[in-house]
Amino acid sequence: MAAATLSRLTRTGPIRRATHDPRWIRWTLITVALGFLALFLFVPLAAVFTEALRHGIRGYFSSFENPEALAAIRLTVLTAAIAVPLNLVFGVAAAWAIAKFGFPGKSLLITLIDLPFAVSPVISGLVFVLLFGLQGWLGPWLHEHDIKIIFAVPGIVLATIFVTFPFVARELIPLMQAQGVGEEYAALTLGASGWQTFWRITLPNIKWGLFYGVILCNARAMGEFGAVSVVSGHIRGQTNTMPLHVEILYNEYNFVAAFAVASLLALLALVTLVLKSYVEWRANLTRIPDEH
Amino acid sequence: MSIEIRNLTKHFGAFLALDNVSLTVQTGELLALLGPSGSGKTTLLRIVAGLEFADPGTGRVFFHDADVTDLATGARRVGFAFQHYALFRHMTVFENIAFGLRVRPKATRPSEEEIRRRVTELLKLVQLEQLGQRHPSQLSGGQRQRVALARALAVEPKVLLLDEPFGALDARVRKELRRWIRQLHEDIHVTTIFVTHDQDEALEVADRVVVMNQARIEQVGTPDEVYDHPATPFVCNFLGNVNLFRGRVRHGQVQLGEKEFPLSGYESVQDAPALAYVRPHEITIGTHPNGGTNLAALVKRVNSAGPLVRLDLEHQIDGTPFTVELTKAESLRLPLRAGARVYVELRNVRIFPGD
Repeated sequence: MAAATLSRLTRTGPIRRATHDPRWIRWTLITVALGFLALFLFVPLAAVFTEALRHGIRGYFSSFENPEALAAIRLTVLTAAIAVPLNLVFGVAAAWAIAKFGFPGKSLLITLIDLPFAVSPVISGLVFVLLFGLQGWLGPWLHEHDIKIIFAVPGIVLATIFVTFPFVARELIPLMQAQGVGEEYAALTLGASGWQTFWRITLPNIKWGLFYGVILCNARAMGEFGAVSVVSGHIRGQTNTMPLHVEILYNEYNFVAAFAVASLLALLALVTLVLKSYVEWRANLTRIPDEH
Repeated sequence: MSIEIRNLTKHFGAFLALDNVSLTVQTGELLALLGPSGSGKTTLLRIVAGLEFADPGTGRVFFHDADVTDLATGARRVGFAFQHYALFRHMTVFENIAFGLRVRPKATRPSEEEIRRRVTELLKLVQLEQLGQRHPSQLSGGQRQRVALARALAVEPKVLLLDEPFGALDARVRKELRRWIRQLHEDIHVTTIFVTHDQDEALEVADRVVVMNQARIEQVGTPDEVYDHPATPFVCNFLGNVNLFRGRVRHGQVQLGEKEFPLSGYESVQDAPALAYVRPHEITIGTHPNGGTNLAALVKRVNSAGPLVRLDLEHQIDGTPFTVELTKAESLRLPLRAGARVYVELRNVRIFPGD
C-alpha cells in the first residue's frame, strides 16, 4: 500500500525542483548572456585575427620581420621578465607580513598595495615623469649624472612594476590569512628553521595561488598601455612595447601589421585564460576541506 | 625531564594573561592545566614551548636545571600538539611524522631507512599503520589528533605539551582518546603537560592538576586533593557540581541549620559573611530530623533518568535552591515527589570566608 502511494506521488507530473525556473526564462537568460559575450568578446577577437590574416599567412608573418616590431616584442618580454619576478618576491613578502604578523601600519600597507588599482594608469605614468622627468624632482640630478629613466627602458620597467604590483599580493593575502599560522608554528616546534618552514610549509600551501597571481601579473605587464605610453616617448625600435607599437602602426593605416602584433597580445590573453582555468581546477583539486 | 617555571608574568596589551606564576613539574609526570577560557593556561603552555615569551625580565623557565627562557622553540626539544592539530595539509601522514627528522641539519639527520623505521614505529604506536599514505583531509578528528601526537613524538621530545588535546572532538571519541593518552603516557613516560577546560578530563587523565583562574594558579594537587580539598571557592565551583549556602561566621563558627562548623583563623571575628559548599552527592535526605544539620527543605522536582536520581530542593527558611544526587536504591526508601518536605544532612561541608 505504502509503496503504491509513494509511486503514485512521484509519478504526478514532471519533477520540479525549487531552484528550477521555467524553461523560457532559462533560455532567455542564456541567450542574452551568450549574445552579450559574442558581441563584446568573440566578434572583436575574430576581427583581430581576420584583419591580421587579410593578406594571408605570408602577409601575417612578414609583419614580424620588421625590426621595429621585433624590438617591440623584445622590449615587452624584457619588461615582463623584470617586473614579474620582482612583483613575485614583493607580493610574497607583503602577503607573508600581512597575513602572518600583526604590526602597526598594517591596514595602511594593505591600502597602499591597492593604490595602483585605484589610480588611472596614465596618472601612474605621470607620477614617474614628475619624479624623474627633466622638469621633475630628481630630473636635474639624473641629467647631471647622465642617467636616463624617462623616455627610456628603465622608466617603462618602473611604470610596469608599479601598475602590476597588486596582483600577486592581492591573490595571496586572503589565502594566507585563511590558512593561518598553525602549520608554521608546528614546523618551528619540530626544529625547522624559518627558511625551511617557508620552503617546505608556506610555499607548497600557496603555490597555486601564487601561480595564479603570476599569470595575471604577467598578462597585465605585457598588455599595459596607459602608464607605459606616458613614460615611453614612443621612440621606434627603442622604447615601444607591443601595445604602443600596435597604436603607431594603426595610426599609420598599416592595419595588417597592427592587427598581426595585436593578435600576439590576443593569443597571450587566450593562453592566460587557459592557464588560469587550469590553475583554478588544480587548486580546487588539492584544496583541503576545512577541519569541520 | 623536570620543568620549573619561576615568576612568569605576561601581558597582551593591557590584558594580564599570567600574573607571577610559578610551577614545578616532576620528571615523567602527566600534569593538567585546568581553567576556564582566558585563565592563562594556554599562554603558560606556549611560554613553556617557546611559542610565546613572558614579559621581558619577569621570570624564567628551566628544563632540568637548564635555563631555556631565551631559547627558540626549535632548540627546546619539546613536542607540541596544537588544538586544531596544525597538520601539514599538503603532506601525507607519513611525511607529517617524518618532518621533524627531515629538517635536521645533515650531521644529525637520520638516514632514509632510519627515518622510515622510526615513522613506521610511531604509526604503530598511534595505531595508524594502514594510513601512512593518506592526507590529513582524509582522516577523522581522532585520527588527526593521533597523527599530531606521533609527529610531536618523532623528534624524541624531552617534554610533551598538548593544547586542548580533546577539544575539537565529539564526546565519544574524547573518552576513548582520554584513556588512550593515559595508556600512552604509561608506556613512554615523557613529562607531559596538557591544557584543558574540562574538569572530567583533568581529573581522569592527570597525575596532578593545576587549577588556574584569572592569570593565577588557584591550587596544585592530585585529582583527589583538588576535588576533595579545594583550596578556594573557585576550585570548589570549577571542579564538579556544587551547592552554595550563604551564612555568617561568628567567633570562628558558621551555623548551618542546627549545626555549627568551625572556620579556623576566624575565631576572633565578631560577624562576617561566609560561604559553605556541599557537593550534591554529599547530602543525605531524611523524612524526620535526626540530629546533624537538619535543614528543612521542600522538594521542587525529581529527575530519575540515568543511574542517579537528581532532586531539586529549596531551603525552607531562605529559599536557597540546591540539588541532591541519590542512588536509585536510596531514593526508593524515601517518599520523594514534588512538594514533599524533607530534612537534609550536609555530610561534607567546605567553608570559606566571603560573600
